[in-house]
Amino acid sequence: MNELIAIFLGLVLINNFLLVRFLGLCSFFGVSTKLSNAVSMGVAVTFVMALASVVTWIIRHYILIPFNIEYMNIIVYILVIASLVQIVELFIKRTNLALYNAFGIYLPLITVNCAVLGVTLINATEDYSFLGSVAAALGGGLGYTLIMAMMSGIREKLEMANTPKTMKGIPIAFIIAMLLGLAFVGFVGMI
Amino acid sequence: MTPIIGVLTVIGLVCGLIIYLVYIKVPRRVKGIEKTEELNAILPGMNCGACGHPGCFAFAQALTADPGLITKTPCATMLQDLEKLKQLEKALGITLDASAMLKKALFHCNGNSEIICNYSGVNTCKAAAQLLSGYKKCPYACLGLGDCVKVCPENAIYIDPEKKVAIVDTEKCTGCGLCVPECPQDLIELVPAGTKIAFQCNYKPLRDVPGREKCDFGCTHCRKCFKACEYQAIEWHKEKALPEFNQEKCTLCLKCIEVCPQNTLADFTKAKKAAEAVTA
Repeated sequence: MNELIAIFLGLVLINNFLLVRFLGLCSFFGVSTKLSNAVSMGVAVTFVMALASVVTWIIRHYILIPFNIEYMNIIVYILVIASLVQIVELFIKRTNLALYNAFGIYLPLITVNCAVLGVTLINATEDYSFLGSVAAALGGGLGYTLIMAMMSGIREKLEMANTPKTMKGIPIAFIIAMLLGLAFVGFVGMI
Repeated sequence: MTPIIGVLTVIGLVCGLIIYLVYIKVPRRVKGIEKTEELNAILPGMNCGACGHPGCFAFAQALTADPGLITKTPCATMLQDLEKLKQLEKALGITLDASAMLKKALFHCNGNSEIICNYSGVNTCKAAAQLLSGYKKCPYACLGLGDCVKVCPENAIYIDPEKKVAIVDTEKCTGCGLCVPECPQDLIELVPAGTKIAFQCNYKPLRDVPGREKCDFGCTHCRKCFKACEYQAIEWHKEKALPEFNQEKCTLCLKCIEVCPQNTLADFTKAKKAAEAVTA
Protein backbone atom coordinates (compact mmCIF):
# COMPACT_ATOMS: atom_id res chain seq x y z
CA MET A 1 0.00 0.00 0.00
CA ASN A 2 2.83 2.39 0.91
CA GLU A 3 4.39 1.76 -2.46
CA LEU A 4 1.16 2.70 -4.26
CA ILE A 5 0.90 5.94 -2.30
CA ALA A 6 4.53 6.69 -3.08
CA ILE A 7 3.94 6.16 -6.81
CA PHE A 8 0.75 8.26 -6.73
CA LEU A 9 2.18 11.22 -4.81
CA GLY A 10 5.45 10.97 -6.69
CA LEU A 11 3.71 11.59 -10.00
CA VAL A 12 1.38 14.28 -8.62
CA LEU A 13 4.05 16.46 -7.02
CA ILE A 14 7.64 15.32 -7.50
CA ASN A 15 7.76 13.91 -11.01
CA ASN A 16 4.93 16.03 -12.31
CA PHE A 17 4.30 15.38 -15.99
CA LEU A 18 4.03 19.00 -17.05
CA LEU A 19 6.59 20.79 -14.91
CA VAL A 20 9.26 18.19 -14.21
CA ARG A 21 9.03 15.60 -16.98
CA PHE A 22 7.96 18.13 -19.67
CA LEU A 23 5.31 15.90 -21.26
CA GLY A 24 2.04 17.14 -22.79
CA LEU A 25 3.25 20.72 -23.04
CA CYS A 26 1.24 21.68 -26.14
CA SER A 27 -2.05 21.33 -24.31
CA PHE A 28 -0.45 23.02 -21.28
CA PHE A 29 -0.27 26.27 -23.27
CA GLY A 30 -3.05 25.62 -25.76
CA VAL A 31 -5.94 24.75 -23.47
CA SER A 32 -5.02 26.66 -20.31
CA THR A 33 -6.74 29.94 -21.20
CA LYS A 34 -9.99 29.17 -19.36
CA LEU A 35 -10.36 27.33 -16.05
CA SER A 36 -13.40 25.29 -17.13
CA ASN A 37 -11.71 24.13 -20.35
CA ALA A 38 -8.51 23.25 -18.51
CA VAL A 39 -10.31 21.18 -15.91
CA SER A 40 -12.32 19.24 -18.49
CA MET A 41 -9.12 18.59 -20.44
CA GLY A 42 -7.51 17.36 -17.21
CA VAL A 43 -10.42 15.05 -16.45
CA ALA A 44 -10.32 13.65 -19.99
CA VAL A 45 -6.56 13.07 -19.76
CA THR A 46 -6.88 11.32 -16.40
CA PHE A 47 -9.62 9.08 -17.76
CA VAL A 48 -7.68 8.08 -20.87
CA MET A 49 -4.46 7.63 -18.86
CA ALA A 50 -6.15 5.21 -16.47
CA LEU A 51 -7.72 3.23 -19.31
CA ALA A 52 -4.52 3.18 -21.34
CA SER A 53 -2.46 2.03 -18.34
CA VAL A 54 -4.77 -0.89 -17.67
CA VAL A 55 -4.89 -2.01 -21.30
CA THR A 56 -1.18 -1.56 -21.97
CA TRP A 57 -0.30 -3.40 -18.75
CA ILE A 58 -2.36 -6.37 -19.94
CA ILE A 59 -0.81 -6.23 -23.42
CA ARG A 60 2.70 -5.89 -22.03
CA HIS A 61 2.41 -8.84 -19.65
CA TYR A 62 0.39 -11.21 -21.84
CA ILE A 63 1.64 -10.39 -25.35
CA LEU A 64 4.87 -8.40 -25.43
CA ILE A 65 6.83 -10.22 -22.70
CA PRO A 66 5.86 -13.81 -23.75
CA PHE A 67 6.81 -13.07 -27.36
CA ASN A 68 9.95 -11.27 -26.21
CA ILE A 69 9.24 -8.09 -28.19
CA GLU A 70 9.18 -5.50 -25.40
CA TYR A 71 11.31 -3.16 -27.53
CA MET A 72 8.31 -2.69 -29.84
CA ASN A 73 6.28 -1.18 -27.00
CA ILE A 74 6.13 2.39 -28.39
CA ILE A 75 4.48 1.29 -31.66
CA VAL A 76 2.05 -1.05 -29.93
CA TYR A 77 1.16 1.50 -27.26
CA ILE A 78 0.50 4.26 -29.79
CA LEU A 79 -1.80 1.94 -31.74
CA VAL A 80 -3.61 0.80 -28.61
CA ILE A 81 -4.06 4.31 -27.20
CA ALA A 82 -5.34 5.67 -30.52
CA SER A 83 -7.90 2.88 -30.92
CA LEU A 84 -8.89 3.19 -27.27
CA VAL A 85 -9.61 6.89 -27.64
CA GLN A 86 -11.62 6.21 -30.80
CA ILE A 87 -13.70 3.58 -29.01
CA VAL A 88 -14.30 5.82 -26.01
CA GLU A 89 -15.27 8.72 -28.28
CA LEU A 90 -17.72 6.56 -30.22
CA PHE A 91 -19.17 5.23 -26.98
CA ILE A 92 -19.65 8.67 -25.39
CA LYS A 93 -21.08 10.11 -28.62
CA ARG A 94 -23.87 7.56 -28.65
CA THR A 95 -24.66 7.34 -24.96
CA ASN A 96 -24.18 10.84 -23.56
CA LEU A 97 -24.14 13.70 -26.04
CA ALA A 98 -23.81 16.36 -23.32
CA LEU A 99 -20.59 14.73 -22.08
CA TYR A 100 -19.40 14.42 -25.68
CA ASN A 101 -19.96 18.14 -26.24
CA ALA A 102 -18.20 18.92 -22.95
CA PHE A 103 -15.14 16.89 -24.00
CA GLY A 104 -15.40 18.41 -27.47
CA ILE A 105 -12.11 18.48 -29.31
CA TYR A 106 -10.09 17.44 -26.24
CA LEU A 107 -10.79 13.74 -26.53
CA PRO A 108 -9.33 13.37 -30.06
CA LEU A 109 -6.50 15.71 -29.00
CA ILE A 110 -5.53 13.26 -26.26
CA THR A 111 -4.92 10.57 -28.90
CA VAL A 112 -1.64 12.27 -29.70
CA ASN A 113 -0.87 13.62 -26.22
CA CYS A 114 2.57 12.51 -25.14
CA ALA A 115 1.62 12.54 -21.43
CA VAL A 116 -0.64 9.53 -22.04
CA LEU A 117 2.05 7.66 -23.95
CA GLY A 118 4.53 8.79 -21.31
CA VAL A 119 2.66 7.23 -18.41
CA THR A 120 2.42 3.87 -20.18
CA LEU A 121 6.13 3.92 -21.04
CA ILE A 122 7.04 4.86 -17.45
CA ASN A 123 4.92 1.92 -16.25
CA ALA A 124 6.93 -0.31 -18.58
CA THR A 125 10.41 0.96 -17.68
CA GLU A 126 9.74 1.05 -13.93
CA ASP A 127 8.00 -2.33 -14.20
CA TYR A 128 5.10 -1.38 -11.92
CA SER A 129 2.56 -3.95 -10.81
CA PHE A 130 -1.02 -3.76 -12.12
CA LEU A 131 -2.24 -1.61 -9.22
CA GLY A 132 1.00 0.35 -9.38
CA SER A 133 0.38 1.34 -12.99
CA VAL A 134 -3.19 2.36 -12.19
CA ALA A 135 -1.86 4.48 -9.31
CA ALA A 136 0.74 6.00 -11.64
CA ALA A 137 -1.95 6.85 -14.21
CA LEU A 138 -4.24 8.42 -11.60
CA GLY A 139 -1.33 10.32 -10.05
CA GLY A 140 -0.12 11.54 -13.42
CA GLY A 141 -3.64 12.60 -14.41
CA LEU A 142 -4.26 14.37 -11.14
CA GLY A 143 -0.91 16.14 -11.37
CA TYR A 144 -1.74 17.21 -14.92
CA THR A 145 -5.19 18.49 -13.88
CA LEU A 146 -3.70 20.31 -10.88
CA ILE A 147 -1.13 22.20 -12.96
CA MET A 148 -3.65 22.91 -15.73
CA ALA A 149 -6.08 24.36 -13.16
CA MET A 150 -3.35 26.46 -11.53
CA MET A 151 -2.04 27.75 -14.83
CA SER A 152 -5.48 28.59 -16.26
CA GLY A 153 -6.55 30.27 -13.01
CA ILE A 154 -3.48 32.50 -13.12
CA ARG A 155 -3.90 33.19 -16.82
CA GLU A 156 -7.55 34.16 -16.34
CA LYS A 157 -6.47 36.72 -13.71
CA LEU A 158 -3.64 37.91 -15.97
CA GLU A 159 -6.16 38.84 -18.67
CA MET A 160 -7.31 41.64 -16.36
CA ALA A 161 -3.83 42.60 -15.18
CA ASN A 162 -1.95 45.51 -16.66
CA THR A 163 0.88 43.56 -18.30
CA PRO A 164 3.27 45.37 -20.65
CA LYS A 165 2.12 45.22 -24.26
CA THR A 166 5.01 43.06 -25.44
CA MET A 167 4.41 40.54 -22.66
CA LYS A 168 0.67 40.02 -23.23
CA GLY A 169 -0.55 36.52 -23.99
CA ILE A 170 2.01 33.77 -24.58
CA PRO A 171 5.20 35.49 -23.29
CA ILE A 172 3.78 36.11 -19.82
CA ALA A 173 2.38 32.55 -19.85
CA PHE A 174 5.90 31.21 -20.33
CA ILE A 175 7.16 33.27 -17.40
CA ILE A 176 4.30 31.97 -15.25
CA ALA A 177 5.19 28.44 -16.32
CA MET A 178 8.79 29.05 -15.28
CA LEU A 179 7.74 30.30 -11.82
CA LEU A 180 5.41 27.32 -11.38
CA GLY A 181 8.22 24.99 -12.42
CA LEU A 182 10.60 26.60 -9.92
CA ALA A 183 8.01 26.13 -7.17
CA PHE A 184 7.75 22.44 -8.01
CA VAL A 185 11.51 21.98 -7.87
CA GLY A 186 11.03 22.44 -4.12
CA PHE A 187 9.35 19.01 -3.93
CA VAL A 188 12.35 17.20 -5.39
CA GLY A 189 13.81 14.66 -2.97
CA MET A 190 10.76 14.42 -0.71
CA ILE A 191 10.27 10.71 -1.41
CA MET B 1 11.67 -11.68 -37.24
CA THR B 2 8.50 -13.26 -38.59
CA PRO B 3 6.73 -13.81 -35.23
CA ILE B 4 7.18 -10.10 -34.47
CA ILE B 5 5.47 -9.06 -37.70
CA GLY B 6 2.76 -11.64 -37.07
CA VAL B 7 2.10 -10.45 -33.51
CA LEU B 8 2.03 -6.78 -34.52
CA THR B 9 -0.31 -7.50 -37.43
CA VAL B 10 -2.64 -9.43 -35.14
CA ILE B 11 -2.66 -6.59 -32.59
CA GLY B 12 -3.47 -4.09 -35.35
CA LEU B 13 -6.23 -6.25 -36.79
CA VAL B 14 -7.74 -6.86 -33.36
CA CYS B 15 -7.77 -3.08 -32.64
CA GLY B 16 -9.49 -2.45 -35.98
CA LEU B 17 -11.98 -5.24 -35.36
CA ILE B 18 -12.85 -3.92 -31.91
CA ILE B 19 -13.49 -0.43 -33.30
CA TYR B 20 -15.66 -1.95 -36.03
CA LEU B 21 -17.61 -4.03 -33.51
CA VAL B 22 -18.12 -1.03 -31.24
CA TYR B 23 -19.32 0.98 -34.25
CA ILE B 24 -21.82 -1.73 -35.21
CA LYS B 25 -22.97 -2.94 -31.80
CA VAL B 26 -23.09 0.03 -29.44
CA PRO B 27 -26.71 1.16 -29.20
CA ARG B 28 -27.52 4.73 -30.05
CA ARG B 29 -29.15 5.90 -26.84
CA VAL B 30 -29.06 9.64 -27.46
CA LYS B 31 -32.30 11.00 -28.90
CA GLY B 32 -31.91 12.02 -32.54
CA ILE B 33 -28.35 10.70 -32.86
CA GLU B 34 -29.32 8.59 -35.90
CA LYS B 35 -30.46 11.71 -37.66
CA THR B 36 -27.32 13.61 -36.63
CA GLU B 37 -25.10 10.80 -37.92
CA GLU B 38 -27.10 10.62 -41.15
CA LEU B 39 -26.70 14.38 -41.68
CA ASN B 40 -23.04 14.19 -40.71
CA ALA B 41 -22.49 11.57 -43.41
CA ILE B 42 -24.04 13.87 -46.03
CA LEU B 43 -22.14 17.01 -44.99
CA PRO B 44 -18.75 17.51 -46.66
CA GLY B 45 -16.72 16.61 -43.57
CA MET B 46 -14.06 19.22 -44.26
CA ASN B 47 -14.68 20.95 -40.90
CA CYS B 48 -13.93 24.29 -42.57
CA GLY B 49 -16.06 26.24 -40.08
CA ALA B 50 -17.49 28.60 -42.68
CA CYS B 51 -21.06 27.94 -41.50
CA GLY B 52 -20.13 29.30 -38.07
CA HIS B 53 -20.16 25.95 -36.26
CA PRO B 54 -17.00 24.34 -34.87
CA GLY B 55 -17.19 21.45 -37.34
CA CYS B 56 -19.45 19.36 -39.54
CA PHE B 57 -20.66 17.20 -36.65
CA ALA B 58 -21.60 20.29 -34.62
CA PHE B 59 -23.45 21.64 -37.67
CA ALA B 60 -25.28 18.32 -38.02
CA GLN B 61 -26.25 18.54 -34.35
CA ALA B 62 -27.58 22.06 -34.82
CA LEU B 63 -29.49 20.96 -37.93
CA THR B 64 -31.08 18.09 -36.04
CA ALA B 65 -32.44 20.53 -33.50
CA ASP B 66 -33.54 23.11 -36.08
CA PRO B 67 -33.71 22.06 -39.77
CA GLY B 68 -34.50 25.64 -40.80
CA LEU B 69 -30.96 26.62 -39.86
CA ILE B 70 -29.73 25.49 -43.28
CA THR B 71 -31.24 28.59 -44.88
CA LYS B 72 -29.75 30.94 -42.29
CA THR B 73 -26.20 29.61 -42.19
CA PRO B 74 -25.97 27.45 -45.31
CA CYS B 75 -23.05 25.18 -45.98
CA ALA B 76 -21.37 26.79 -48.98
CA THR B 77 -19.69 23.58 -50.12
CA MET B 78 -23.01 21.72 -50.13
CA LEU B 79 -24.67 24.32 -52.35
CA GLN B 80 -22.22 23.49 -55.14
CA ASP B 81 -23.17 19.84 -55.19
CA LEU B 82 -26.81 19.46 -56.25
CA GLU B 83 -26.90 15.70 -55.69
CA LYS B 84 -25.78 15.99 -52.09
CA LEU B 85 -28.16 18.87 -51.60
CA LYS B 86 -31.04 16.63 -52.65
CA GLN B 87 -29.95 14.05 -50.10
CA LEU B 88 -29.85 16.76 -47.47
CA GLU B 89 -33.34 17.96 -48.46
CA LYS B 90 -34.59 14.42 -48.08
CA ALA B 91 -32.95 13.97 -44.69
CA LEU B 92 -34.21 17.28 -43.39
CA GLY B 93 -37.66 16.98 -44.94
CA ILE B 94 -37.68 20.49 -46.41
CA THR B 95 -37.16 21.88 -49.88
CA LEU B 96 -34.39 24.33 -50.55
CA ASP B 97 -33.92 26.97 -53.20
CA ALA B 98 -30.24 26.51 -53.86
CA SER B 99 -29.89 29.35 -56.36
CA ALA B 100 -31.31 31.88 -53.89
CA MET B 101 -29.01 30.69 -51.12
CA LEU B 102 -25.87 30.67 -53.21
CA LYS B 103 -23.58 33.60 -52.46
CA LYS B 104 -20.49 35.08 -54.01
CA ALA B 105 -17.78 37.27 -52.59
CA LEU B 106 -17.79 40.85 -53.87
CA PHE B 107 -14.82 43.14 -53.29
CA HIS B 108 -15.86 46.73 -52.74
CA CYS B 109 -12.77 48.26 -54.31
CA ASN B 110 -11.76 48.74 -57.94
CA GLY B 111 -8.12 49.20 -57.01
CA ASN B 112 -7.64 52.41 -58.97
CA SER B 113 -6.40 54.37 -55.98
CA GLU B 114 -2.88 55.73 -56.37
CA ILE B 115 0.04 54.08 -54.59
CA ILE B 116 1.64 56.92 -52.60
CA CYS B 117 4.57 55.18 -50.97
CA ASN B 118 6.62 52.01 -51.26
CA TYR B 119 5.64 49.49 -48.63
CA SER B 120 8.37 47.04 -47.76
CA GLY B 121 7.15 45.71 -44.43
CA VAL B 122 5.63 42.38 -43.50
CA ASN B 123 3.88 41.06 -46.58
CA THR B 124 0.32 40.88 -45.28
CA CYS B 125 -2.60 43.27 -45.60
CA LYS B 126 -3.12 43.23 -41.85
CA ALA B 127 0.40 44.52 -41.21
CA ALA B 128 0.20 47.11 -43.98
CA ALA B 129 -3.19 48.37 -42.79
CA GLN B 130 -1.76 49.20 -39.37
CA LEU B 131 0.80 51.60 -40.85
CA LEU B 132 -1.02 54.83 -41.68
CA SER B 133 -3.98 52.84 -43.10
CA GLY B 134 -1.92 51.36 -45.89
CA TYR B 135 0.22 52.65 -48.72
CA LYS B 136 -2.52 53.84 -51.08
CA LYS B 137 -4.05 57.26 -51.32
CA CYS B 138 -7.44 55.96 -50.23
CA PRO B 139 -7.17 54.70 -46.63
CA TYR B 140 -9.98 52.23 -47.32
CA ALA B 141 -8.55 50.70 -50.49
CA CYS B 142 -7.67 47.09 -51.17
CA LEU B 143 -3.98 46.63 -50.31
CA GLY B 144 -3.57 43.64 -52.59
CA LEU B 145 -1.14 41.71 -50.40
CA GLY B 146 -3.38 38.70 -50.50
CA ASP B 147 -4.57 37.86 -46.98
CA CYS B 148 -7.79 36.68 -48.63
CA VAL B 149 -5.91 34.61 -51.22
CA LYS B 150 -4.26 32.57 -48.49
CA VAL B 151 -7.51 31.48 -46.84
CA CYS B 152 -9.50 30.76 -50.01
CA PRO B 153 -10.01 26.97 -50.17
CA GLU B 154 -11.02 27.15 -53.85
CA ASN B 155 -8.13 29.35 -55.05
CA ALA B 156 -10.77 31.68 -56.47
CA ILE B 157 -9.08 34.98 -55.58
CA TYR B 158 -6.31 36.55 -57.65
CA ILE B 159 -4.25 39.68 -57.14
CA ASP B 160 -3.92 42.09 -60.04
CA PRO B 161 -0.13 42.71 -59.98
CA GLU B 162 -0.38 46.20 -61.52
CA LYS B 163 -3.27 47.68 -59.58
CA LYS B 164 -2.60 45.62 -56.44
CA VAL B 165 -6.24 44.69 -56.02
CA ALA B 166 -7.96 41.37 -55.29
CA ILE B 167 -10.20 39.93 -58.00
CA VAL B 168 -12.63 37.04 -57.53
CA ASP B 169 -13.31 34.33 -60.05
CA THR B 170 -17.06 34.07 -59.42
CA GLU B 171 -17.24 30.66 -61.04
CA LYS B 172 -14.79 29.15 -58.57
CA CYS B 173 -16.08 31.11 -55.55
CA THR B 174 -18.41 29.03 -53.39
CA GLY B 175 -19.45 31.90 -51.14
CA CYS B 176 -18.11 30.20 -48.03
CA GLY B 177 -17.21 33.55 -46.48
CA LEU B 178 -13.85 32.52 -45.04
CA CYS B 179 -12.23 35.57 -46.68
CA VAL B 180 -14.65 38.10 -45.15
CA PRO B 181 -13.06 38.37 -41.67
CA GLU B 182 -9.55 38.28 -43.16
CA CYS B 183 -9.76 41.67 -44.87
CA PRO B 184 -8.50 44.43 -42.54
CA GLN B 185 -10.18 47.01 -44.79
CA ASP B 186 -13.56 45.25 -44.52
CA LEU B 187 -13.97 45.21 -48.29
CA ILE B 188 -15.52 41.81 -48.86
CA GLU B 189 -19.26 41.24 -48.82
CA LEU B 190 -21.19 38.10 -49.56
CA VAL B 191 -23.86 38.94 -52.13
CA PRO B 192 -26.48 36.71 -53.79
CA ALA B 193 -25.03 34.86 -56.78
CA GLY B 194 -27.51 36.57 -59.12
CA THR B 195 -26.13 40.05 -58.44
CA LYS B 196 -25.74 41.95 -61.70
CA ILE B 197 -24.03 45.25 -60.94
CA ALA B 198 -21.09 45.37 -58.57
CA PHE B 199 -20.52 48.56 -56.61
CA GLN B 200 -16.74 48.63 -56.30
CA CYS B 201 -16.06 51.16 -53.60
CA ASN B 202 -15.67 50.78 -49.86
CA TYR B 203 -18.98 52.44 -49.09
CA LYS B 204 -19.04 52.05 -45.33
CA PRO B 205 -16.64 54.86 -44.37
CA LEU B 206 -17.44 56.90 -47.45
CA ARG B 207 -20.45 58.35 -45.74
CA ASP B 208 -18.10 60.57 -43.69
CA VAL B 209 -15.26 61.03 -46.13
CA PRO B 210 -16.15 62.01 -49.69
CA GLY B 211 -14.45 59.66 -52.11
CA ARG B 212 -12.90 62.28 -54.31
CA GLU B 213 -10.57 63.61 -51.63
CA LYS B 214 -9.13 60.24 -50.92
CA CYS B 215 -9.35 58.29 -54.12
CA ASP B 216 -9.69 59.68 -57.61
CA PHE B 217 -11.86 56.75 -58.56
CA GLY B 218 -14.19 56.50 -55.56
CA CYS B 219 -17.91 57.13 -55.51
CA THR B 220 -18.63 60.86 -55.37
CA HIS B 221 -22.34 60.42 -54.73
CA CYS B 222 -23.19 62.22 -57.99
CA ARG B 223 -26.40 60.19 -58.58
CA LYS B 224 -25.69 59.85 -62.28
CA CYS B 225 -26.35 56.11 -62.22
CA PHE B 226 -29.63 56.69 -60.41
CA LYS B 227 -30.78 59.14 -63.04
CA ALA B 228 -29.56 57.08 -65.99
CA CYS B 229 -31.48 53.92 -65.11
CA GLU B 230 -34.57 53.55 -67.26
CA TYR B 231 -36.00 50.58 -65.40
CA GLN B 232 -36.13 52.03 -61.86
CA ALA B 233 -33.69 49.35 -60.85
CA ILE B 234 -31.56 51.78 -58.85
CA GLU B 235 -32.77 53.36 -55.67
CA TRP B 236 -30.90 56.09 -53.89
CA HIS B 237 -30.15 55.27 -50.28
CA LYS B 238 -30.38 58.65 -48.58
CA GLU B 239 -28.49 57.87 -45.42
CA LYS B 240 -25.59 56.13 -47.05
CA ALA B 241 -25.83 58.40 -50.12
CA LEU B 242 -25.23 55.38 -52.30
CA PRO B 243 -27.08 53.61 -55.12
CA GLU B 244 -28.92 50.40 -54.28
CA PHE B 245 -29.53 47.92 -57.05
CA ASN B 246 -32.73 45.97 -57.52
CA GLN B 247 -31.57 42.75 -59.16
CA GLU B 248 -35.01 41.76 -60.48
CA LYS B 249 -35.67 45.00 -62.32
CA CYS B 250 -32.15 45.30 -63.68
CA THR B 251 -31.92 44.28 -67.34
CA LEU B 252 -28.15 44.53 -67.54
CA CYS B 253 -28.33 47.39 -70.06
CA LEU B 254 -25.10 48.64 -68.45
CA LYS B 255 -26.12 52.31 -68.82
CA CYS B 256 -25.22 53.03 -65.21
CA ILE B 257 -21.71 51.68 -65.80
CA GLU B 258 -21.36 53.90 -68.87
CA VAL B 259 -22.38 57.10 -67.11
CA CYS B 260 -20.40 56.54 -63.94
CA PRO B 261 -17.63 59.14 -64.10
CA GLN B 262 -15.54 57.32 -61.52
CA ASN B 263 -15.50 53.75 -62.86
CA THR B 264 -16.99 52.60 -59.59
CA LEU B 265 -19.55 50.24 -61.13
CA ALA B 266 -18.79 46.99 -62.90
CA ASP B 267 -20.66 44.12 -64.51
CA PHE B 268 -20.63 41.42 -61.85
CA THR B 269 -21.69 38.72 -64.31
CA LYS B 270 -18.38 39.23 -66.12
CA ALA B 271 -16.26 38.97 -62.99
CA LYS B 272 -14.90 35.65 -64.21
CA LYS B 273 -13.52 37.30 -67.35
CA ALA B 274 -11.83 39.98 -65.28
CA ALA B 275 -10.19 37.28 -63.19
CA GLU B 276 -9.07 35.44 -66.33
CA ALA B 277 -7.54 38.62 -67.74
CA VAL B 278 -5.39 38.93 -64.62
CA THR B 279 -4.21 35.34 -64.53
CA ALA B 280 -3.49 35.13 -68.27
